[in-house]
Amino acid sequence: MDKKTVTTIAYLSRIALDEDNEDKITTDLENIIKFVDQLDNANVDGVEPLTNPLEKKAQTREDKVTAENRKETFLDRAPKSNEDYFLVPRVVE
Amino acid sequence: MSWETVIGLEIHVQLSTNSKLFSGGSTGFGAEPNTHVDLIDMGLPGVLPVANREAFYKAIRFGLATNAEINQTSSFDRKNYFYPDLPKGYQITQMAMPIVGKGSIKIDVDGSEKIINITRAHLEEDAGKSIHDLFDGETGVDLNRAGTPLLEIVSEPEISNAKEAVAYFKAVRQLVTFLDICDGNMAQGSMRCDVNVSIKKQEDEKLGTRAEIKNINSFKFIERAINFEIERQIRIIESGESVVQETRLYDSVKNETRSMRSKEEANDYRYFPCPDLLPVVISDNEFNDIKNNLPELPDEKEKRYMSEANLEEAEAKIISSSKTMANMFEDACSKTDDSKLVANWLVGDVSALLNKDNIDIEESKLSSNNFATLIERISDKTISGKIAKSVLEEVWESGHDVDNIIKDKGLVQIQDESVLEEIAQKIINDNPSQVGAYKGGKDKLFGFFVGQVMKETQGKANPKSVNDILKNLLDS
Amino acid sequence: MSIQYKSIKDLNNMLLSKEISHKELITETFALIESKKNLNAFITLNKDAAIEKAVLLDRKKNESMLAGIPIAQKDLFCTKDLRTTCGSNMLSTFIPPYSATVISNLENAGCISVGKTNMDEFAMGSSNETSFYGNVENPWGVNLVPGGSSGGSASAVASGIVPAATGTDTGGSIRQPASLCGITGLKPTYGRISRWGMIAFASSLDQAGPMARTAEDCGILLNEMCSHDIKDTTSLNEHIPDFTKNINQPIKGMKIGIVKEFDLSKLDNEVVKVFEESKKYYESLGAEFIEISLPNISLSVPTYYVVAPAECSSNLSRFDGVKFGKRCEDPKNLEDLYIRTRSEGFGDEVKRRILIGSYVLSAGFYDAYYKKAQQVRRLIKNDFDEAFLKVDVLMSPTTRGAAFEAGSKGSDPIQMYLEDLFTIPANLAGLPALSIPNGFVDSKPIGLQLIGNFLEESKLLQFAHSFQQITDFHLKTPSGENI
Repeated sequence: MDKKTVTTIAYLSRIALDEDNEDKITTDLENIIKFVDQLDNANVDGVEPLTNPLEKKAQTREDKVTAENRKETFLDRAPKSNEDYFLVPRVVE
Repeated sequence: MSWETVIGLEIHVQLSTNSKLFSGGSTGFGAEPNTHVDLIDMGLPGVLPVANREAFYKAIRFGLATNAEINQTSSFDRKNYFYPDLPKGYQITQMAMPIVGKGSIKIDVDGSEKIINITRAHLEEDAGKSIHDLFDGETGVDLNRAGTPLLEIVSEPEISNAKEAVAYFKAVRQLVTFLDICDGNMAQGSMRCDVNVSIKKQEDEKLGTRAEIKNINSFKFIERAINFEIERQIRIIESGESVVQETRLYDSVKNETRSMRSKEEANDYRYFPCPDLLPVVISDNEFNDIKNNLPELPDEKEKRYMSEANLEEAEAKIISSSKTMANMFEDACSKTDDSKLVANWLVGDVSALLNKDNIDIEESKLSSNNFATLIERISDKTISGKIAKSVLEEVWESGHDVDNIIKDKGLVQIQDESVLEEIAQKIINDNPSQVGAYKGGKDKLFGFFVGQVMKETQGKANPKSVNDILKNLLDS
Repeated sequence: MSIQYKSIKDLNNMLLSKEISHKELITETFALIESKKNLNAFITLNKDAAIEKAVLLDRKKNESMLAGIPIAQKDLFCTKDLRTTCGSNMLSTFIPPYSATVISNLENAGCISVGKTNMDEFAMGSSNETSFYGNVENPWGVNLVPGGSSGGSASAVASGIVPAATGTDTGGSIRQPASLCGITGLKPTYGRISRWGMIAFASSLDQAGPMARTAEDCGILLNEMCSHDIKDTTSLNEHIPDFTKNINQPIKGMKIGIVKEFDLSKLDNEVVKVFEESKKYYESLGAEFIEISLPNISLSVPTYYVVAPAECSSNLSRFDGVKFGKRCEDPKNLEDLYIRTRSEGFGDEVKRRILIGSYVLSAGFYDAYYKKAQQVRRLIKNDFDEAFLKVDVLMSPTTRGAAFEAGSKGSDPIQMYLEDLFTIPANLAGLPALSIPNGFVDSKPIGLQLIGNFLEESKLLQFAHSFQQITDFHLKTPSGENI
C-alpha cells in the first residue's frame, strides 16, 4: 500500500498519521487487506449483495411533528457553544 | 471560433412536509436557532432514521408530472464527508435506486418551446446552516434545517445558455409550486441550484471540462453566474490553458465565480447502502392514490379558465402561470359571478403594481383574502371601481384589511338614489349656462356634470347611478 | 445470606420469601462490586438511583420475576442522565439525554441498573484490552482476558456480582466472553431487540442480548428485552413468544448439525476433547448428529473484516468534536479540530478499523471489497438456509480455546480477529446463537456454541437448558464452590 493511499485514507477519515504510528498503521493495513483478499476466490456471479439480513421493506412514518424544542439540552452537551449556536473555528469557504 | 455552451442544473427543492425526512423535527422556517432539532437530527450516538412517507408521495407527484419513470421500490445510500453542519458526518441520499428516474419538462424561452430531459430526481436530507459572520473567529452551527427533505432534480446537460437555464429553473419552480410539493420561496432557500458549465467548440463532439457553481438561489444570479463563467472559460482556453474541474461559488457583489478552497482529492464520498434503512416500497394503492389526486397543473388551469370562466388565452395564461395568482383568482371568483372582473383586476391593476415594484406576487403585501374581499366589495357595489383602485394601492403599501380601509376612510359608495338625485339637481341648478350648452348640442359637457357630482361626493357616488340620474334630469 | 452467584430465579425467590429486602439486595450488590474492584468490570456506577429504586420497591407489592433484580448494563447502551462512554475517551464526558429502548424495557420490567460495564472501545475487540478505562480481569485468573467486547458484563456475571448483564454482539462479543468466563450468553435473531439507543458499530450486524448464569435466566431477560420498536426501521415486527415456555421440552429426536468446514483438527486436543464430550451428552438426550456443509463459511472472517469496518467507519464519523463528546484543546481551524479530536479520542484498534473501512469503500475499491463481501455474505446466508432444512440447530465450540493472557496476542491484529472464527457467521446471516459453559481446559472454562434458524431462540434455549439439566459446568464458580 503506497504512502499516498494511506495518507489519503487517513485524511478522508480525519485521523492523523505521525512518525510514531504511520509505519505500524501502514503495515497493519497491508496485512489486513492481504487477509481479506481471500475474497478474490469467491465466485459471486449473479449474486445480489446482502446489505441487511432482514429481507423486508422499511416501515415509514407519518408526516407529523413530534419533536419538542430541546435546544438547551443539546447546547449544554456541546464542547463549545453559546446560548444559540454550536461553535467551531471559523470556516472559510 | 464559435463556442458552444453545455449546461446542466441540479436543483434542490425543499419539500413542504411538516416534519423532516427521517425524524419528527419540524421543518418550519425562521425559528430560533437549534429549536427544531430532534435527537435524530443531532446525530446523537444510538439514534436511527425512519423515513417520512409524505416525502415519497411528494417526490412521486413530481415524477408523474414530468412523465418520469417511478421506482416504487427505492433505497438510501450514505454520502460520507465532514462539515460542521452535517451532524452525522454523512448525508443520507439516494444514489443507486432513486425514487424518480428519467423524465422531461417543457420550457419556454422568449416564446419558443424546448424540452429539457431530466436524468433523475431523488430524495435526500438537507444539512444545517453554518453562520460565518456573526462570531469573531468562529462559525456558528444551526441544525434547524438539518434533516429537511430535499428532492434533488438533475437535468441532462441539454441547456445551451443562461436564458434557457433561467427558463428551466422557472419551469421547475412553477411545477413544484403547482404540485404543492414546495412553496417556491427562493428568498427562504426553498429552492437552490448548482450549475454545471462547460464549453466546447461547435465541431467537437467531446464535452469540455466542467466547473460546478454551487448554491445559487435567484434567477438573476443564475443568469449572471453562467455568463461570467462562460467568459472565464473561454478566456482560459483561448490563452492556451485548461479549465480545471472544480467547485466554484458565485459572488453576487463582485459578479464573479471563484474557486472554493478545498483539497483536490477532497471528496471521495465512499457511497454505500445505508444499513439502518431498508428499501422503501410504495404500494400500488398508494401510487394510484397519488396519481388520482394530482393537483391541477398550469396548462389544465389555463384551459379551464378559458372554458369555464370565459377568459381570453392571454389572461388565462398570465393568471395560471403562478400558483399564488391562480389561487387568488379562484378564491376571488368564489365571491362574485363576474370572473372577468377578477381577471381584469389581476391582469390589469395588480400586474401593473407588481411590475412597478419589480416583485413577484408572493412577495407583495396583498393576501388572497384581502383581494377576494376587494372584489366582493366592488361586486356588491360597496365601493366603485375607481375607489377600489385607491384601496388597492393602500393595501399594496400597508397590507391593511380592505374593510378597515374602506371604513376608516369613509369610502363607502353612495348608492342612495335620492341623495344622488338631490346632489345632481343642485349641480344642474348651479350651472345653468352649461345646462344650456348641453341641451344646445354640446354632448361632451355631460362629462362635466358627472365630474361635478363626483367632486361633490368626493368620488364616492356610484358612477352608473350618477350617469342614469343625470341623463334622466338633463334629457327630460 | 450471600447473594453472590445467585441466578435471577434464586434472587426472585429470596425476595418473595422476604429472605432479603430489595434495599439489602442492592446494597450488597454494591458491596460486592466494591470488593471486586480489581476486576475493573464497571466504568460508571449508578448507586444512588439504584438504591432509591430499591427503596421504592420495598414499599410496593410488585413481585414480578425481574422486580428489583440488579442488572449490569454494557456501556454501549445510552442511559438517560447516566454517563455512557462506549469504553472510549471520545465519550468520557457524554451524558445521553435519552435511554436505549432495551434499557427502558428492562427497567420497566423492574430491573435495577446498577452500573455501566467496561468494554472494548466502541465494541471493537475480543479481549477487553482496548478500553480507554483499562483492561477487565477474568474472574477465573488474574492475568486472563475475559473476552470482548462485552468483557465487563461477562466478568460481572462470572464473578457473581450480578445475576445478569446486557451485552452486544456484532461478531461474537456476547458469546466469546461468555465462553471465556464460563457463563451463558445469547445473541438473538437480528432485529429482535431494538437498536434505538445502542451506539452503532456495524449497523447490519449489531444485536443486543442477555448474559446470565443459566439458559433459563437468559430466556427470562430476552422476554423483556425484545420488542418491536417503530423508532428502529430494522426492528422485527414478528410475534414475540415467551422464550422460556418450551424450555423444558425434551430434545429427543431433534437434529444437531456439525459443520464440516469448521476443521476442529486445528484446535488444541483438550478443546476437541471437551467438544466431543458435549456431543456425547446430547446423544444421551436422544439428539441425532448430522454432518452439514457450509461451503462458504471459511470466507466469514474476511467478509466480516470488510463489512464491519466499512459500516463503522461511517457510523463513527459523527464523533467530530462539534456537537457532543470530547474536543481537542484550542483547535487552530476546522481541520485541526477534526483531526486532533479524532486522533486523541480514538484508540488504535478503532483507528485501524475506521481506516480499513474508508479504504474498502473508497472509489476504485468498492466493487472489489465491499460489494464483493456483501455478495459472499449472501452466499453464507444461503448456506445456512440450506442447512436448516436438515437440522434444528448447528453446534460448534464457541472459541478456539480458553481465556488467554492479556497482551499475549501480540501486535498483529489478525491474530485477534481469528478469535471470532466460529461466532462471526451467525452475525453475517442474522441468525440467533448462544454459548453455554461445557467444560474446562487447564482449569479455565470454555463454551459450546449453538446456532439456530431465524426466530428460533426458544429452540436454542431448549437445547441449552437440556444440557444444563444434566451437566454442572454452568454451576462452577471461580471461587471453587458449586452453586
